[in-house]
Amino acid sequence: MSLVQSALELNGLTLTLESAAGRVNILKGIDLSIQAGERISIVGPSGSGKSSLMMVIGGLERPTGGTVTVAGQTLNSLSEDHLARFRRDHVGIVFQSFHLMGAMTALENVALPMELAGEADAFERARDGLAAVGLAHRLDHYPGQLSGGEQQRVALARAFAPRPRLILADEPTGNLDHDTGEQIIRLMFDQARRHGTTLILVTHDPGLAARCDRTIRLADGRVVEDTAVARAAPGEQKGAD
Amino acid sequence: MITLTELKLAARLARRELRGGIRGFRIFLLCLALGVGAIAAVQSVAGGIQRSLVQDGRAILGGDASVRVLYREATADQRRWLESQGTVAVTADMRAMARKATDQPGANADPGKTDLGASGLVELKAVDGRYPLYGRLTLTDGGSDVQGRLAARDGVFGAFVDDTLATRLSLKTGDRLTVGDATVEVRGIIDHEPDKAGSGSIALGPRLMVAMDALPATGLVRPGSLVNWSYQLRLPEGTDAAAWAKTVDKTFPDAGWRVRDFTNAAPQLTRFIDRLAQFLTLVGLTALLVGGVGVGNAVRSHMDASVHSIATLKCLGSPARLIFQVYLLQILALAGLGIAAGLALGAVLPLAAGRALAGLLPITAEIGVYPGRLALAALFGLVTALVFSLWPLGQAQGVPAARLFREGSAGRRGRPPAWVLAALAWLAAALGSLAVLTSVDQKLAAFFVLGAGATLLLFLGAGTGITRLARLLPRPRRPALRLALTNLHRPGNLSGMVVLSLGLGLTVLVAVALIEGNFRREVGESLPANAPSFFFVDIQPDQLDQFRQTVLAVPGAHDLETTPSLRGTIVRVEGKPAQEQVHDPDKKWVVNGDRGVTYQAQAPAGDKVVAGAWWPADYSGPPELAISKDVAQAFGIGPGAHMTLSVLGREIEAEVAVVRDLDFTTLGINFTLVMSPGVLEHAPQTHLATVRAPAEDEAAIQRAVISAFPNITAIRVKEALATVSTIIVNIGMAVRVVAAVTLVAGTLVLAGAIAAGHRRRVYDAVVLKVLGAARVTILRTFLIEYGALGLVTAAIAGALGTLTAWAVLTKVMNMKWVFLPETLALTALLSTAITLALGLVATWRALSQPAAPLLREE
Ligand SMILES: Nc1ncnc2c1ncn2[C@@H]1O[C@H](COP(=O)(O)OP(=O)(O)OP(=O)(O)O)[C@@H](O)[C@H]1O
Ligand SMILES: [Mg+2]
Repeated sequence: MSLVQSALELNGLTLTLESAAGRVNILKGIDLSIQAGERISIVGPSGSGKSSLMMVIGGLERPTGGTVTVAGQTLNSLSEDHLARFRRDHVGIVFQSFHLMGAMTALENVALPMELAGEADAFERARDGLAAVGLAHRLDHYPGQLSGGEQQRVALARAFAPRPRLILADEPTGNLDHDTGEQIIRLMFDQARRHGTTLILVTHDPGLAARCDRTIRLADGRVVEDTAVARAAPGEQKGAD
Repeated sequence: MITLTELKLAARLARRELRGGIRGFRIFLLCLALGVGAIAAVQSVAGGIQRSLVQDGRAILGGDASVRVLYREATADQRRWLESQGTVAVTADMRAMARKATDQPGANADPGKTDLGASGLVELKAVDGRYPLYGRLTLTDGGSDVQGRLAARDGVFGAFVDDTLATRLSLKTGDRLTVGDATVEVRGIIDHEPDKAGSGSIALGPRLMVAMDALPATGLVRPGSLVNWSYQLRLPEGTDAAAWAKTVDKTFPDAGWRVRDFTNAAPQLTRFIDRLAQFLTLVGLTALLVGGVGVGNAVRSHMDASVHSIATLKCLGSPARLIFQVYLLQILALAGLGIAAGLALGAVLPLAAGRALAGLLPITAEIGVYPGRLALAALFGLVTALVFSLWPLGQAQGVPAARLFREGSAGRRGRPPAWVLAALAWLAAALGSLAVLTSVDQKLAAFFVLGAGATLLLFLGAGTGITRLARLLPRPRRPALRLALTNLHRPGNLSGMVVLSLGLGLTVLVAVALIEGNFRREVGESLPANAPSFFFVDIQPDQLDQFRQTVLAVPGAHDLETTPSLRGTIVRVEGKPAQEQVHDPDKKWVVNGDRGVTYQAQAPAGDKVVAGAWWPADYSGPPELAISKDVAQAFGIGPGAHMTLSVLGREIEAEVAVVRDLDFTTLGINFTLVMSPGVLEHAPQTHLATVRAPAEDEAAIQRAVISAFPNITAIRVKEALATVSTIIVNIGMAVRVVAAVTLVAGTLVLAGAIAAGHRRRVYDAVVLKVLGAARVTILRTFLIEYGALGLVTAAIAGALGTLTAWAVLTKVMNMKWVFLPETLALTALLSTAITLALGLVATWRALSQPAAPLLREE
């Protein structure tokens, strides 16, 4: 797999949702091309459509118009269950509020996507994944017994463990204090770099955006700015430990 | 295709998801356990009774087969033929009067005064030297030597009495009794009479058993006396008793014999138990349906709580099918738990109830575990649980994964996918079919299923209606009122839930209360105003005049009526065998066995003619008949039709002149078949009489008749009715207990629903409290809200329950319907009040907690 292969293609993407108040045009024609291994930050004011864009890319929301191609697959034509399988195989998602399964231990949470894929070594890989985020000693703890930062680390391990090509992270540090957030970001960048994963990160933090390869600014459902960030951002060096 | 790996994964995930515990499923489990338990208990008891009917069939019947005939002993020829078939034991039973003999030490010295206390109606049974062929008759002193003890000693025959008679006449072994013209000596108290359940008719009096040789001395067996002769046979080893019984019918088609074999020893009792079990099972099924609403609620709130997990699973790539499997497996596991608890309950309860039952039935139920019957209860539980779970389960798999990005976005609940709806329809149909197919009376069961379905839908609709109405009503000024009104229709309101969960249970309870009330009225405490005080049977024609004088000589006796009484069978209608001419299967009883026949010149006073006209008072033409409406309906005939009756072996063809509507509720003398004069006058016959008297004179009448006519049997109507009404009260009790389970289930469901909506409600209440509202004010709001819901529900349930009771009484039981407004109001309002009070108590307790923690949590 070549590094310059396109990991994500959006062409004329629009999203219109029905709501009680009428139709809302949320995404109004987005064209975007992202290379494999790129680290993208998406910024923009609240309500500009950042989360909606992530959902469309993750196959969680169907676009109203345009095409979405991820890892060579056009999502538009896939059925609900095909989309689910596509996510299982290619996409890892990290949320602002973790979204761990409350009734499952950290280990089970991380193993879950691989179990869904029917992989025999799901638990071993989950153990490795948790070790990679420094939680080797908390395998059997339930989310309720973990701090916010620890929960997000579990969520990170869960997103990365199946080795997806694409990680979608929607304000992953939004619910965490600054230091803990910093720790999560470092882990995320580190893992992405190590596995060559494409990373799309929604953030309100300009400092964080600056550590990515490229920043896309949304406003009112349109891309208003698409800038490559100068190399040698501090995030990279710090990530390499 | 579902693969095993997939299923294993689903099971693993289901197990993990249940780790949080099953607290949210307490109502779910209780509802299922109660419903399944009720059905399982009913089925276990019925199973026990049926098993002993089968196992002890020979003892209950008294032989491999039995031949019974009313009035006449078998002829010598017939007797010889029977003897040629196997070993024959003969018994004769009849009603008679027994008196404690006064010429013995310890007897009451003042015969004139306490005679009534020392005499009474008995079910007399005379047994021959071979009795019993099967089973053992045991006495309380441990003895079982029937022949030895009943034999004459010093010219006095022995007798056994049952405990009731011993108590009633304060008899002990060695005391003497007179029955008819004979005096017998009590030689034992009956502990167990093997063939008691086989006798068929309701016992109006206690048992008195004597030897067959003692019977002639009583003088009770006269032409036309109501004696049941029974020939019990032990057939040669290897004979197929059922097949044998059929050949007898063919060999002696016109003997008027009722032939039975041990495989169907007590058909009436079997039928009665079957029907009662079916009825109770249907009531139990209602409890299960009510519980199903609770099951549905629990699943819905479980799925609501699981939305997050479902969305997460979807984000991680789980297909909708897997999610459905995971949650279905959970529900199945929990349902299994609830059903198991119900089965345990249903298997254990009959053990506890066994003792109580023993006293009520003529046989001992073989209490035990009946896997087939328990399986039926379990199946009912499982299908019900699935029917009520599928909708919320189907909705849940449609939860969009996108929810995770938009915290708290109110996920609109959609319709489940088509295949879930199809499965739901299929399961509902399966539940209905199961109820119908496992019933003895499938028509009734089908009505029940349709009615239950319609009721469920009606209450669903009523809930929606109330919500809509509340939305349309103008907003009241008073805050408490306004809040109550808003609560009725705001999103997530409990209106539909309260109406549904309370409504079903209440409907059943109202129906049961009204049916039972009607029963009681019919037979019980309130005697019909014009009911006679006594029925006298077996009056010989030559005793008639003297009997009249004797009775009317007692001050207070009046309205003495006598009627000749014969028995006859309808053998042909329009020249064709009557059995084949029955149009209305519900009225088939008119050709089963014999009916009372009388003759009279004129219509009795107040007679209701449906069709045709009575013969003139001086009629002397060819035989004509007055028949009851039942007989007319049975054959679909009217005036002008020809019927052939067999009266004491003589066939008489007569033309139907009149169809009458008989009112059996007056308890007067009623004959379904009345012949015109000039036909039956010289046939052997007895007379029936009724007389009215003030209660205080009844004793004197009985005394006068017994001492003058030992052969005449006096049946005190009050006592007979008390016997019958005890039976009905006991049945009513059983029905009420099962029906109460329905209301308990309803209350549970309601409590669950209130608890589910509670957090939000209490939050509201706490905010109000913070704003300065007193708890009483808040409670008043709830009282208005629930009160309004409760009243509307009670009104609908009252109407539906009344309709149900009316239909059951008039259409199923062919009884007269009387509307009982007090019973209705009391049942409906009391149950509503109790149920709602429980809900309010819960709210009050929640309100008494400090506000701060709740506010911090939100
Ligand atoms: N289900 C929906 N129906 C209609 N409109 C919606 C729906 N979900 C979101 N919206 C609207 O779409 C717009 C974009 O929402 P989105 O969540 O993508 O914004 P965002 O950029 O992620 O904002 P934030 O930074 O606050 O998370 C908003 O105006 C929102 O109100
Ligand atoms: Mg957002």
